[in-house]
Amino acid sequence: MKPAEASLPSDTEVLVKRSFDAPVKLVWRAYMEPDLFRRWCGAHPGWSMPVCEMDMRVGGKYCWRWRSDENGQEFGFTGEVLEVALHAKIVHTQIFDAGDLGVSMGGEPSIITVTFQETNGITNVTTTIRYASKADRDAAFATGMTDGMEVSYKLLDGVLGEM
Amino acid sequence: MAQLDQAFAALADPTRRGIVVRLARGEASVSDLVGHFSLTQPTISSHLKVLESAGLISRRRVAQSRPCKLVPERLKAVTDWLEQVQEIFEGNYKRLDALLTELKQAEKKERKR
Repeated sequence: MKPAEASLPSDTEVLVKRSFDAPVKLVWRAYMEPDLFRRWCGAHPGWSMPVCEMDMRVGGKYCWRWRSDENGQEFGFTGEVLEVALHAKIVHTQIFDAGDLGVSMGGEPSIITVTFQETNGITNVTTTIRYASKADRDAAFATGMTDGMEVSYKLLDGVLGEM
Repeated sequence: MAQLDQAFAALADPTRRGIVVRLARGEASVSDLVGHFSLTQPTISSHLKVLESAGLISRRRVAQSRPCKLVPERLKAVTDWLEQVQEIFEGNYKRLDALLTELKQAEKKERKR
C-alpha cells in the first residue's frame, strides 16, 4: 500500500489518507476494539499503553495513555464519541493530556473524523483532524505536531538520538 | 503567525494548489496560467494575489507582464509539517497492516474449520 498522504482540505483541517489491504470489517475492528487498537496505535517502539479504555458508542468516552519505557513519562488523549456509522464513519472529540511532558496543545478539543470505504477488498481510510481554532492549529504547527502524539514521539526521538 | 495562517488558507483551495503545482515546474505568466487552467484572467489574478500575500509566490515585473514563481522556503515550512504528519501516521499504519494480515489469516483458519 502507498504510504499515508497528508493534505490541507481547509485552513483549520488536516486530512490523512491511507489504503489497507483488508476488508472494512477487519479494519473497523482494529479501530474499535481496545485489545486490537492498542496493538497498532499503542505499540510505538519504546512506549507502552497502560490505559486503553474505549466505549465507542455515541456519547461514549475513551481514554488512552502512553508511558515511556525510558523514563516513565506519560501522556494521553481523552474524548467523546459524537457519531458512529458501522463500517463507515466515526467522529470523536480529542483532548490532549500532556501529563508529565509539560507541553500545551491548546485548550479546545479537536474533532477527529475517520471514514472507511471498501473497494474490492481494499479499505480506504481518511482521517480528518479539525482544530478548534486557527490558533490551535498554529500551536500544533509551530511545535511541528498535528496532535499530542507527535510531542511524545518527538521527545522520544530526542531521547533515542542521545543514546 | 499571520503569514502562516495565510499560507494554510491559500493552500486550502484546489485551484491555488494547482497553481502552486504548476509553478513548481517553473515560472509562469498570468496568461500561461489562464491557458493552463481555462479560467478567466481576473479569477487567476485574484488567486495569485492570495498566494502572493501568503508569501508563497513572488512576482517580478518584466515589461508588461508579471511572471510568478514559487517561494520555496514558505512552501517548505508547510510541506515539512505535512511530511511529519505523514510519518507519524505511517508508523502506526505499518503496524496496522501487520495486524490486519494476522486478522485475515485468523479468519481463513476459522473458515476452514
